[in-house]
Amino acid sequence: MNHNPQSSDGKHDDDSALSDFLASLMDYTPTIPDELVEHYLSKSGFQSPDVRLIRLVAVATQKFVAEVASDALMHCKARQAAVVKDKRDKQQKDKRLILTMDDLSKSLREYGVNVKHQEYFADSPSTGIDPASREE
Amino acid sequence: MRMKKLKSRRKSNTLTHPQHEATNPCDFSFHITKVAVAQICRSVGFGRSQVTALNTLTLVATKYLETLGRSATSFSGAANRAQPNLLDLTNALHDISLHVGFKGVGTLYGDDCFLKSAVLEDLSGFVRSTDEIPFAKPIGRPKERETEDSKPSQGGNLQRGGHIPEWLPVFPDVGNKEQCNKRVSGETLWENSASVLRHETEEFQEKRDGSNGGKLSKERRRVKFWIKGGKRVDMNRCSGNNLFSQSRDEEAEHKKSKEKQTLVYQRRRKKVQ
Repeated sequence: MNHNPQSSDGKHDDDSALSDFLASLMDYTPTIPDELVEHYLSKSGFQSPDVRLIRLVAVATQKFVAEVASDALMHCKARQAAVVKDKRDKQQKDKRLILTMDDLSKSLREYGVNVKHQEYFADSPSTGIDPASREE
Repeated sequence: MRMKKLKSRRKSNTLTHPQHEATNPCDFSFHITKVAVAQICRSVGFGRSQVTALNTLTLVATKYLETLGRSATSFSGAANRAQPNLLDLTNALHDISLHVGFKGVGTLYGDDCFLKSAVLEDLSGFVRSTDEIPFAKPIGRPKERETEDSKPSQGGNLQRGGHIPEWLPVFPDVGNKEQCNKRVSGETLWENSASVLRHETEEFQEKRDGSNGGKLSKERRRVKFWIKGGKRVDMNRCSGNNLFSQSRDEEAEHKKSKEKQTLVYQRRRKKVQ
């Protein structure tokens, strides 16, 4: 590996940027509380006295959830834009943006999480079939 | 079936179905996470949510947290360390983001500085751009665990917990990394370097004060044991099975031997009667 003087200066800049980011983490309070993150991390065997690492994990999780939710929001808005009936209906639907399993499964699929939600549950495979075609 | 809930008035979950609680054994933490996830969803723009959708997103978030912790721990274990540091966490973040992809993923382990990663840059951008969303409800701190106090002191027996007998010496202090890990050419661990240390937290300073450098204290109390064959004598008056006692100097030994004799004497008298 060749170490140029420019790259070493770049490394110092990266270190300082990183330490600035870690310092800013202490000012920023993530939505997920530190105690909760500590609980889940200790379940996985992660034990660290440094609060900044715990904050980093909390911020990463918050970013992940926010991205998934915003993708689901995009799917929801796209679906509403496709179904435009009257002006009144559109205004009503704009006020209520509901997080549904449909939108959530679509957005989670892009992140590698496969979520399938059953539409309904039936008593037997032949439920709902026309009785004339059902074999007895 | 759709069940809608107003997020602005989220209190305790009065509409929880038993089948949802049965899927997750840690109910309390799951409910707290659900509140936090609901707050994040609201900040993104959702006004309402299906119950199953919120539960699913909360479950995914908890698994994300646990996966990050597990990956970071395994990376630190592969590097012969017990506690994960920033490098392990960065590796774990890269692993978990590989499915989505980020800038520079192709040249991840090249010549460039490893910590100049796009994942950390994205996170810092997120921190800068997003407003803080404080958690809705206060959470009580768990009671102080005994394993957190690893400082050796003269009264250290009180902090160790009842499962450790009093006559054992105190644990050696291994919290000070500077004296243990000093190398010949002056190399130090990255997380102890000056560029990171200037933002060190209070926990670091606490652990660095008052250390022995990993050695046992030379002066320890002298422990003597009296083992009575057959009879059980309660010498310390704490428990019937406790046949051991401690002694610091000869006066205390004399006193305790006198106590022992009197106890034996009393027992014999009782037997006669």
